[in-house]
Amino acid sequence: MSNLYNLSAGEAHRGIIQGDFTAEEYVWSIIGRIERVEGKVHAFITLNKENALVCAREIDKKIRTKEVVGSLAGVTVGIKDNISTHGLKTTCASKILENYVPPYNATVVERLQNYGAIVIGKLNLDEFGMGSTTEFSRYGPTHNPWKVDYVPGGSSGGSGAAVSSRECTISLGSDTGGSVRCPASFCSVVGLKPTYGSVSRFGLLSYANSLEQIGPICRTVEDVVTVMNAISGHDPNDDTSFSSRSSVPYLSINQERTPSSIAIVKELIDGCDPAVSKTIYSALDKFKEFGSECTEISLKSVNYALPSYYTIAMAEASSNLARYDNIRYGFSFPMEGFEWNTYISNVRSNFGEEVKRRILIGSYVLSSGYYSKYYLKARQLRSLLRQELLSNFAKYDLLVGPTMPVLPFRIGEKIDDPLKMYLMDVDTVLANLAGIPAISIPAGHSNGLPIGLQLMAGPFQEQKLIDAASLLDNAINIKGSPEI
Amino acid sequence: MALVSKDELIHLGWISRINLSEEEIETFHHQLDDTIKYIDVLETFSSENLSLDHLEIVFSDLREDKAIEFTRELIPKSSRAQQGYVKGPKMK
Repeated sequence: MSNLYNLSAGEAHRGIIQGDFTAEEYVWSIIGRIERVEGKVHAFITLNKENALVCAREIDKKIRTKEVVGSLAGVTVGIKDNISTHGLKTTCASKILENYVPPYNATVVERLQNYGAIVIGKLNLDEFGMGSTTEFSRYGPTHNPWKVDYVPGGSSGGSGAAVSSRECTISLGSDTGGSVRCPASFCSVVGLKPTYGSVSRFGLLSYANSLEQIGPICRTVEDVVTVMNAISGHDPNDDTSFSSRSSVPYLSINQERTPSSIAIVKELIDGCDPAVSKTIYSALDKFKEFGSECTEISLKSVNYALPSYYTIAMAEASSNLARYDNIRYGFSFPMEGFEWNTYISNVRSNFGEEVKRRILIGSYVLSSGYYSKYYLKARQLRSLLRQELLSNFAKYDLLVGPTMPVLPFRIGEKIDDPLKMYLMDVDTVLANLAGIPAISIPAGHSNGLPIGLQLMAGPFQEQKLIDAASLLDNAINIKGSPEI
Repeated sequence: MALVSKDELIHLGWISRINLSEEEIETFHHQLDDTIKYIDVLETFSSENLSLDHLEIVFSDLREDKAIEFTRELIPKSSRAQQGYVKGPKMK
């Protein structure tokens, strides 16, 4: 019973329902694991142990009295700390929100709890989701469980590391330009960025509204299916969530559905680390063995994707983060001696350096004279990229490439060169710009460092991603857990 | 040639309401310039006859425009909140 924390969500839930162990025993096992490894991983900003135990006892009581419980009953979930949790601090890893306690739950949190999931804590991130390594957190970096002096990816680095290190069963991240898939790749777990509009963003603290989606990070494809079925669907509080349930279908696991045609995108594989490209081509060979027809294609607008992405994301960031003025909520910063504008300017100098950089660049590209040169051009290119991708999904079931062009690297190695960091997102931003779903699944290791394969599909074609991911996961069987 | 001057950076700090230190102006100046030079590649792309991106939102899907009663409990419990109002800094 001492290693219950190793169970997947499906295994843990079945064990609890069948009476093999109680939800409380399971949560105690997770808490014990956190106490043993959190000092090395630093995945959490806030822990919710006592409340988690109360919730576990309630689930045990329901099971004893034969009440109906949801498909995630007893499963512990970690929530990225930019997703609102009622009564539980939500800091965005920022000094600006260090004392902020939301008076409501995000829709995704509400839905997970309705399915019986237990919130075990809030997970570390790059401040406001801006970064690819989780080094830009006010609370210090999260460490990669596979090699603790390496980055776990970002911005949902806490979400990736906590699932990989077995400190929680499943987690939620948010993906603006790859922030779910990058840590999934670097930590050897499964991460899904859903179709834009399929999961409610109500309660997600906005960074770039037109790009971001909340998505699950799990150890198995089956768990991703369970979480997606719980959180997806229309929410009247988010007008960008699709209202038709038929648009957001229920997902299922079936390892006999093979993708008939797959295209590898030349621009995504060119120039990436040789160990990464070798692993991606090996995965492609597996698909050929299953009978999939594999083709290499070139997408001309991909070369403009990253500058378009950063232009749009930073423009939206500068607008979204304008609300943080420390007037209604915030940190302790007395008003005496300041007039309105100087007070706000001094308060906002407490943003971290990456957030400041992005707000400043966002203000620049939205300025008179530069607006049409950068921002409008970026939106036109976004439209072109979407058209190009959709025309390819008429020919191919899936587009594939590496999730990240590089292997995880040492903490601090790239932090002084922001542009070099931005360039790492080259493979993941396509899905955000086009609003399509994409999944990262473990595909191999090089020198003990994980490598992820990215699969992309047309809008609301998550089932195709699940089918291919499940098939490949079963065939190459990248299992094992990091030794922490 | 730099695309972002130090004076422009100071102005960006002002319109973004972020007070920048001398050290930050020095560091950000180079970093912002590198990033703007990178995104400047957008200018090489001919965008004639290209539409803007658009989100596929059906207007009938939007929430009914109906007032919802305001709950004063949603006002954060801070020392600055009094009788349903929040105190802010003085205007000039």
